[in-house]
Amino acid sequence: MTNEIGNEPDDITRLLRERLPRHQAPAGLRGSVVEALDPPKGRRRPSLWIAPALSALATAMVMLLWLAPALPRATPDQMERLSRAVMSEYARGVFAGEVSPETLPAALPRVMRDSGVLLSWVFTGDADIRLVNAQPAYLEGRRGLALTYQDRAGHSVSYIVAHGPNVAIPERERVQIARWRPAVRTEDGVSLIVWKQSGLVCVMVSDLVSADDLGRFKEYFVKVRSATEVSPSY
Amino acid sequence: MADDDFRQQALGHIDALYNLAVYLTRNGSEAEDLVQETYARALRFSHRFEPGTYMRAWMFQILRNTFLTFYRLREREPALSEAGVPDGEAPMFHHAPAEDGESAGAHMDLERALGRIPEEFRTPLLLAEVEGLSLEEVARIMDCPVGTVKSRIFRAKERLRALLKDYGGQDLMT
Repeated sequence: MTNEIGNEPDDITRLLRERLPRHQAPAGLRGSVVEALDPPKGRRRPSLWIAPALSALATAMVMLLWLAPALPRATPDQMERLSRAVMSEYARGVFAGEVSPETLPAALPRVMRDSGVLLSWVFTGDADIRLVNAQPAYLEGRRGLALTYQDRAGHSVSYIVAHGPNVAIPERERVQIARWRPAVRTEDGVSLIVWKQSGLVCVMVSDLVSADDLGRFKEYFVKVRSATEVSPSY
Repeated sequence: MADDDFRQQALGHIDALYNLAVYLTRNGSEAEDLVQETYARALRFSHRFEPGTYMRAWMFQILRNTFLTFYRLREREPALSEAGVPDGEAPMFHHAPAEDGESAGAHMDLERALGRIPEEFRTPLLLAEVEGLSLEEVARIMDCPVGTVKSRIFRAKERLRALLKDYGGQDLMT
């Protein structure tokens, strides 16, 4: 390639090739990509049975639409499952209430040790929102931690970080907030902001759901996201 | 191309894609997001891939377009000064294996200098000189003529050389 520009590799070319670190894809990323590239078996390529199968499926869909109200809900997707797990942790955080300001700093290292999530920097609050509790958390059976904040109006905001689950964040749900693009969703009376950081799943959840409140929630996200550094501790 | 072949080939380029993503986003987790999104898009548009052409260049093209669409507007890209070099320092993500202090310092200087070169110059330089793509392939990825690619690579090298001298890295150049 260099020969197309010069006759031999110059100083910069040599420097780039010899001294510039090469970053290898982390195993977690490789796993996510393999998973994304490997759709469920049986849907890969059309076969001879595709026409009758489609016909049967169409009949079944008509029946399903007719009977839908009486049927149990379909299996939720990854994000739905995550949302439910988060909501349950959020409720737990709200019920746990506030820990005394003297106890909280001492509790954080224990929570980090128990959860396997290391927070190099923690956002402990400012004039608008303050940290009131820290607890170990579980998202779909995986360890993590939950930091509960309370804003001036008394709204609870939980920031939950957990190992896996390997959730693909759908592009259609992503929203630009400052310099990040997390997924934002509102359901069952709560708002969620979901993103991935250092191979961990991070979620902020709150009962701030109206348009104005959501704006405030996004401001809280920016505060937490920019002031907190997370990493798996093992 | 059969789906399995496509997936297998695409997966083979993950390290190269991640490496470029790190130098584009300057942030490990954002680089991971960018690579994931690149694969999602590659799979979605796999029918547009022409078998027999170079998949690596095609994947790089998707990665760069995704970066420009979703990531560049995030204020991460420093504003350009009159000289075409960004003002201020951009933090670099450094995740290199353990190494001695002198060598690590040299890497840091090189990464820091590279981070100060605008993306339009940095990407062709990395694609051509680090990834070894041909000028035609780089031109296709950058969506510009081959002559422009040559000129950008030349200017990128000049700027890198000047920045490294500013950092006192003359010893790097010898």
